[in-house]
Amino acid sequence: MSPSHLGIPAQLFVVLIWLTSVGLAQDPIDEASSTVQSSQQQTSEQQAAQIAFFESKIRPILHEHCVSCHGAEKQEGGLRLDSPQAIAMGGDSGGVFQIADPNASLILVAVRQLDSSLIMPPAPAPKLSPAAIADLAKWIEGGAVMPMGPEAGPAGTQKKPKIGREHWSFQPIAKPALPNIATTAWDQNAIDLFIRQAQEAKGVRSQVAADKSLWLRRITFDLIGLPPTVSEIESFLADTSEAAYDRVIDRLLASPQYGVRWGRFWLDVVRYSDSNGLDENIAHGTAWRYRNYVIDSLNEDKPYDRFLTEQIAGDLLPAAHRSERIANLTATAFLAMGPKVLAEVDERKMEMDIIDEQIDTLGKAFLGMTFGCARCHDHKFDPVSTQDYYGLAGVFKSTHTMDSFTKIAKWHENEIATEQEELERKAKEAEIAELKARIEKLTAEGATDAEKKSLSERLDAIQKAIPVLPTVMGVKEGSVQNVPLHVRGNHLALAGEVKRRFPEVLNLNNAVSLDEQQSGRLQLAAWMTNRSHPLTARVVVNRLWRWHFGKGLVASTDNFGALGEKPSHPELLDWLAAELMESGWSLKHVQRLIVTSATYRQASERNPAAEELDPENRLLWRYPVRRLEAEAIRDFLLAAAGDIDLARGTSLLHVGNREFLFDHTSIDKTKYDSHLRAIYLPVIRNHLYDLFDLFDYSDAATVQGDRGSTIVAPQALFMLNSGLVHESAKRLAEQLQATDFETDEKRIQYLHLRLYGRYPTANEATAMLSFVDRGGVENRGERWTYLCQAALAANDFLFVR
Amino acid sequence: MMNNLPLFNEMLNSLQNSNRRNMLKQSGVGFGYLAAAALLGELSSKAVGAETAFERALAAKPSHFPCKAKRAIFLFMKGGPSHIDTFDYKPQLQKDDGKELPFDKPRVQFAKTGKLLGSPWKFARYGQSGSFVSQLFPNVAKHVDDLCFIHSLHGTNAAHGGALLKLHTGSDAFVRPSLGAWLSYGLGTENSDLPGFVTICPTLAHGGVNNWGSAFLPAIYQGTPLGNASMPSDQATVRYIKSASGVSREVQREQLDLLRELHQQKAQNGQVDEVLDSRIASMELAFRMQTEMPLAEDLSQESAGTHELYGLNDPMTANFGRQCLLARRLIERGVRYVQVTHSDAFVQWDQHSDLKKGHEKNAKEVDLPIAALLQDLKQRGLLDETLVIWTGEFGRTPVAEGTNGRDHNPEGFTAWLAGGGVKGGFHYGATDEYGYYAVDNKVHLHDFHATILALLGLDHEKLTYRYAGRDFRLTDIHGKVAWDVFA
Repeated sequence: MSPSHLGIPAQLFVVLIWLTSVGLAQDPIDEASSTVQSSQQQTSEQQAAQIAFFESKIRPILHEHCVSCHGAEKQEGGLRLDSPQAIAMGGDSGGVFQIADPNASLILVAVRQLDSSLIMPPAPAPKLSPAAIADLAKWIEGGAVMPMGPEAGPAGTQKKPKIGREHWSFQPIAKPALPNIATTAWDQNAIDLFIRQAQEAKGVRSQVAADKSLWLRRITFDLIGLPPTVSEIESFLADTSEAAYDRVIDRLLASPQYGVRWGRFWLDVVRYSDSNGLDENIAHGTAWRYRNYVIDSLNEDKPYDRFLTEQIAGDLLPAAHRSERIANLTATAFLAMGPKVLAEVDERKMEMDIIDEQIDTLGKAFLGMTFGCARCHDHKFDPVSTQDYYGLAGVFKSTHTMDSFTKIAKWHENEIATEQEELERKAKEAEIAELKARIEKLTAEGATDAEKKSLSERLDAIQKAIPVLPTVMGVKEGSVQNVPLHVRGNHLALAGEVKRRFPEVLNLNNAVSLDEQQSGRLQLAAWMTNRSHPLTARVVVNRLWRWHFGKGLVASTDNFGALGEKPSHPELLDWLAAELMESGWSLKHVQRLIVTSATYRQASERNPAAEELDPENRLLWRYPVRRLEAEAIRDFLLAAAGDIDLARGTSLLHVGNREFLFDHTSIDKTKYDSHLRAIYLPVIRNHLYDLFDLFDYSDAATVQGDRGSTIVAPQALFMLNSGLVHESAKRLAEQLQATDFETDEKRIQYLHLRLYGRYPTANEATAMLSFVDRGGVENRGERWTYLCQAALAANDFLFVR
Repeated sequence: MMNNLPLFNEMLNSLQNSNRRNMLKQSGVGFGYLAAAALLGELSSKAVGAETAFERALAAKPSHFPCKAKRAIFLFMKGGPSHIDTFDYKPQLQKDDGKELPFDKPRVQFAKTGKLLGSPWKFARYGQSGSFVSQLFPNVAKHVDDLCFIHSLHGTNAAHGGALLKLHTGSDAFVRPSLGAWLSYGLGTENSDLPGFVTICPTLAHGGVNNWGSAFLPAIYQGTPLGNASMPSDQATVRYIKSASGVSREVQREQLDLLRELHQQKAQNGQVDEVLDSRIASMELAFRMQTEMPLAEDLSQESAGTHELYGLNDPMTANFGRQCLLARRLIERGVRYVQVTHSDAFVQWDQHSDLKKGHEKNAKEVDLPIAALLQDLKQRGLLDETLVIWTGEFGRTPVAEGTNGRDHNPEGFTAWLAGGGVKGGFHYGATDEYGYYAVDNKVHLHDFHATILALLGLDHEKLTYRYAGRDFRLTDIHGKVAWDVFA
């Protein structure tokens, strides 16, 4: 029932609000007017008059007497009366009025002060005038007509007006022309022009190129999360050609360790975890397959649009062969591994909470949008309505994520056996069937147990050893359905059904329509990866920038909405986003641009003049000094002792899928003593590995594109006292002493190269050597260990410059 | 060091403006408040330790309004102690033992329950206030005139996990900062050598670290756990407080001196910035904490009389007694918020069956130590400025589960407060005649949080933190202070 059918212009479309008691089932009606019913009996003149009545009489009453407690500032009783949409939504106690029985309308009961538990406005405010009460009654009796079109403004003056399509991040991405400034010898590529243009406008200047050894340490940690080896340092320093830089970058981008490093960043974004956390901390025993899928995808530089699509709708994609099908299914673990209240006794609430978590994660991870806010009310700051939210909720309601909602609820697992694994299993099954048949036959022939013994034993052995076909948590299609609007997010207060669709404000010109046979996830992915989508490319190139520089061009990496930060270099952001799409969504292409820039290569030294003008270094006049992330610290501690194992990991959990990591026992037996890279260590929600916990690891429960980088005393306790640091120090000291160096000076030199990637200054060498000497000859071995402990605790170890 | 003057001034300004959030923002990379404050001390004078810096930082951000409570101890009874068998006397329940509940059970229940089950314990009146307490708490009963009972608490989740999260963080759906983290954020700590929020033997289950975490608040505000529920309290201490390989304090001092020397060499070359400076300060701080924490934990400093008082000589009470005594020692040293969890490696108070046996054991373990804590705080003049909070994550149903157990009941249960500006011998709110639902002066958990913050001088609507573009509160968009409980 669209406005045009009524012969009136859409923007003047007038609707009757028909909210009776909350929870009353209503027939599904058109999405544009769910919760409201249009009146066909009234003429447009009558409607216009009623709107005028609302504007001249009702809105002022609400504004004067109600909005201070039921408006943008406060929402007493979960009720807002500052816009027609909000009035239509009602509050915690239900709808504001009842057209069928106007005198029973809560608003009239309240202002007439008929019920002692509902007196409005509350004392000491005076009762409304009889005239005002009469106007309210008249308005409701007339059908509570309000303007519901897009022009319907707020009743009161809102502090922060909602943004619309004009918001910067909703603008189409047009590749900006390169800045029209003279190039300099400093510039390496286009990025530098954008950076320099902004600097010149402020009068600050970049640093010169960083010392070569510092650059090598920086880029190596940056691209693979490990320190450069001593021989890598020596050969890079020996190669004085300009191409030496590119060779290092090529080598690192092609290293399988690249995916280990950059995959981990992505795992932060998708709140990757090996356990559910929240209430029932049971194992995500198959999530590791998704982790390895991410590592592989990044290593092969899978186009980002494809990467996104697989994670949202991999199960719906055609696959050329089995391994592709397995990867596609594995990718959908993205939707499945959110934290869930698995013992939630209210199963309907659990389902909607899970859907909410999916929408929230999807919005923040890929689009930098906080859709979750619209679950209970129209988004206060971004143009996302509850209609938008429940339109998306329908897509996920139509997706099968859970096999059971009964506590402890079970998530779905997709089967991902290879052909080989299937064949092996079938062979075993055949063998079992054959053995059983033979035993039966022998039994029929009257054979004794002793005679059947060897067959029975063989049967037992095969049955015990029959391979379990691998699965991975993930989703599949469910029954396709729309979701009713949940009034104030309450699953017990349902209003009209909302058709599955994507948020209005981001409705692209060539919007995809959803068919009735599918959940709509595939179309959702297509909509997100459409080149005219303004957010997808911007959000991901900004993430890359954040991970290379420690701060995004848009500092709020997961929020590109009204409350997010504005980009520091909007044109550079768009240029990179356009580059990404033009390159066929190649992340490595964009990264190569970033790390080959002079901006990236510059030194990190301070500059008082620039500091004065730009203390936060938003203009990137120096490379920011950065503390290593938790994983890099851990891997480096092992690498320093020569103990890191660069092999590929599977699962290091000590319990099976869906088994408790620990219940109320508080005894967590998870072990972190593996020497594999940190990405393979278990990620246990509610009880992270100490080292991770101390050094600002993601909490693994929400999208985290911008980890903290704190410096607190408990970290220092770890570096001073932990067994891991002491063990590394001991091993390192042993190696230093066992190796045949000519002098102790050479030892110190080697120690520096290994830990700090550079040669020591004379003063440093002297200080360290005198530390060793102070213990006397008999304690020399111990002193070397103490020295190594201190060296591992040094800023030079923990920070990249 | 002069290089840091802009930062120093910036911080000082922030502190003077009592705007903590700005300070954290302006500290660039967001290093912790502790380190920032230490740096402040570092810069202002070589001889001045971080304590002074902390005092200054605290002085610059007073509570929102005047209040008596300066700090708090939360005695958390894990599993859900039964209110109707302890502090919420229901004579009608005794009368109707074995009958059907005459009204509806909640729409959502955790387990299947049957008919009304009278309390196996007798209640008697105590104190001037004539407050009812059951036989389970004979020692706490002696202090009823100091206790302020809230009988109408409600609104947690029906399962342990959700209920713990809701009680500790206000949210059972998202990871949010815990009450203790909000308090340290709002008020800071009074002792720069110790954390502002310590949690003794917390359970790792049912939300685990999230129950003392800082979520999006700066990490410095998170609770520092001493051990966990699976270990005896005499083994509970701060992680990594001792050298794993027994490196002596003297050698560690030498190591720190070496780092300082190397750092200073760099500073002369302009290669040091505020982040690196504060890292060095954080190492010094850790070094001091290594001394201070074991001192706080050393119960041998206490008299034999005190050991006796807290029941440390009786295996039944020793474990929880140590926790309570430790709490007092930490509070005394200026820790802002100490949580003491009563939980073994099981769900301690969760008597789905064998209510009598289970609750009797549990109450025996805590009754004497809690009474001792109240008495001790009072004797030392600390009770007036220390808010003591006692509750579980929910109460239990008046209807039986099986023959002799009770199910979870988040619909109505009891908490009590003591000291820190609350009315003593006072009963606020009520459940129905059987103790199933909160009916009078209902106090939702959000209201409870708002009230606790208010008792510590913080306005729950003003204690906000901006994260992901939104101002967050412990009470979200809810919370009404129960002003009636204020003395």
